[in-house]
Amino acid sequence: MLSYFSNPQRFDGLARRVIPVLGVLTVLLLGIGIYLSFFGSPPDYQQGDTVRIMYVHVPAAYMAMALYAALAGASFVFFVWRHALADAAAEVIAPVGAVFTVLALITGSLWGKPMWGTWWEWDARMTSVLVLLLVYLGYMALRAALEDAQQAARAGAVLAMAGVVNLVIVKFSVDWWSSLHQPASVIRFDGPTIHSSQLWPLAIMALAYTMLAAWLVFYRLRSRAVIQRARQIERRKLQAARAAQSTQGSGA
Amino acid sequence: MSRLGAVFAREARLAWSGGGGPAGPAAFFLAAITLAPLAIGPSPELLAAAGPGLMGFAALLSVLQSAERLYGDDFSDGTLDLYALSPMGLSLLCLAKTLGQGIATLWPLPVIALLGGLMYGVPLQPSMMLAAALAAAIPALVLLAGFAGALAAGVRRSGLLIALIAAPMMVPVLIFAAGAGRAGFEGDERALANLVLTLAVSLGAIALAPFGIAAAVKSRLG
Repeated sequence: MLSYFSNPQRFDGLARRVIPVLGVLTVLLLGIGIYLSFFGSPPDYQQGDTVRIMYVHVPAAYMAMALYAALAGASFVFFVWRHALADAAAEVIAPVGAVFTVLALITGSLWGKPMWGTWWEWDARMTSVLVLLLVYLGYMALRAALEDAQQAARAGAVLAMAGVVNLVIVKFSVDWWSSLHQPASVIRFDGPTIHSSQLWPLAIMALAYTMLAAWLVFYRLRSRAVIQRARQIERRKLQAARAAQSTQGSGA
Repeated sequence: MSRLGAVFAREARLAWSGGGGPAGPAAFFLAAITLAPLAIGPSPELLAAAGPGLMGFAALLSVLQSAERLYGDDFSDGTLDLYALSPMGLSLLCLAKTLGQGIATLWPLPVIALLGGLMYGVPLQPSMMLAAALAAAIPALVLLAGFAGALAAGVRRSGLLIALIAAPMMVPVLIFAAGAGRAGFEGDERALANLVLTLAVSLGAIALAPFGIAAAVKSRLG
């Protein structure tokens, strides 16, 4: 299975078929999800209509973490089996994950203002999401700084895997930090477990976000392969031109 | 063992000969804690409350400031290639190398932090707690800086890249080390717990980071 798609042509064939399907699914699920979250679900008894921010915020936060898990998983596959596609996946996942992290931070901030009365609170969860954004940025900066593609791939894989250990310790330490530092100034969403009228739109939105992320990742993977092939062709043309020139030079 | 000792001693000597040893980080640390009150304001209560946290933060910055040298020079002159060929094992060598340079250059930080704490109006006991916590944090800080430094070795302007990579990794150390000083200042009994957690993070870094650093070095040697 792993080695099957190491053939670029086979992967391209798969991607060509998968991309439109994912696109249609994304649009469909986002449409249903947005309709349900605006009209198909009741306002909260405490938060009123503001609770609807949850339907765009929670899936974004979930994707921010899920995509980091995917990045680390792809890095592991590349590190162990040197699978080129896994490295390509890691490279294209990182910016998508960073964008979802920013989205989670922005929507969280927009939700925090009406609910907690502040755009930003140094609460454990928000702080660790901010750290997650830094981890994404560090990964992207390292890959961008290393010119040799093979070195960038390997160093990136090492960093992404170390990030998993790091993020677990960060989560634990930030919990400890905010419990030491801060008396409860944050209204916690500890009420009764979420009601099914809110769970349905949330689940559909989460699925829609997942499809959107998968769509973007496959799209970027395919365009990355196309760019690489174009570069290769250009290089070959250049080499052929040089070879022709040198034979002419020696003939005269 | 003696070969590891030789690597350790080499790093310590290099730190002295190449860049004034502990003078650089110490001067940077001193400058940072001198400038901070000028920005925050001279109110004694405010400074005493912010002191332990500022001290921890300034120590982190001075470790980052010297991180570029940890692996950059040895990467460009080929020393790391030789280390990778050695039968000693790259991870042990990296541990000796990183700790050697770290301890040789960073040992004054806890001393300055103790003085700085007193200057900020933090009582003696929490100041000592903070100094102890910083001493406990140094192995973790320097190993994490070494990991980032090995990944970014030989890159132009690697200092910024190292800071960006290492900063999220240093979050736990900063929380526990500065937390020890802060809790000590607030008379919280969790100061000792924070100190012990700082030590735990350092021990964990000593156990795990060498493998990470070795993997990072290997990934860059190609």
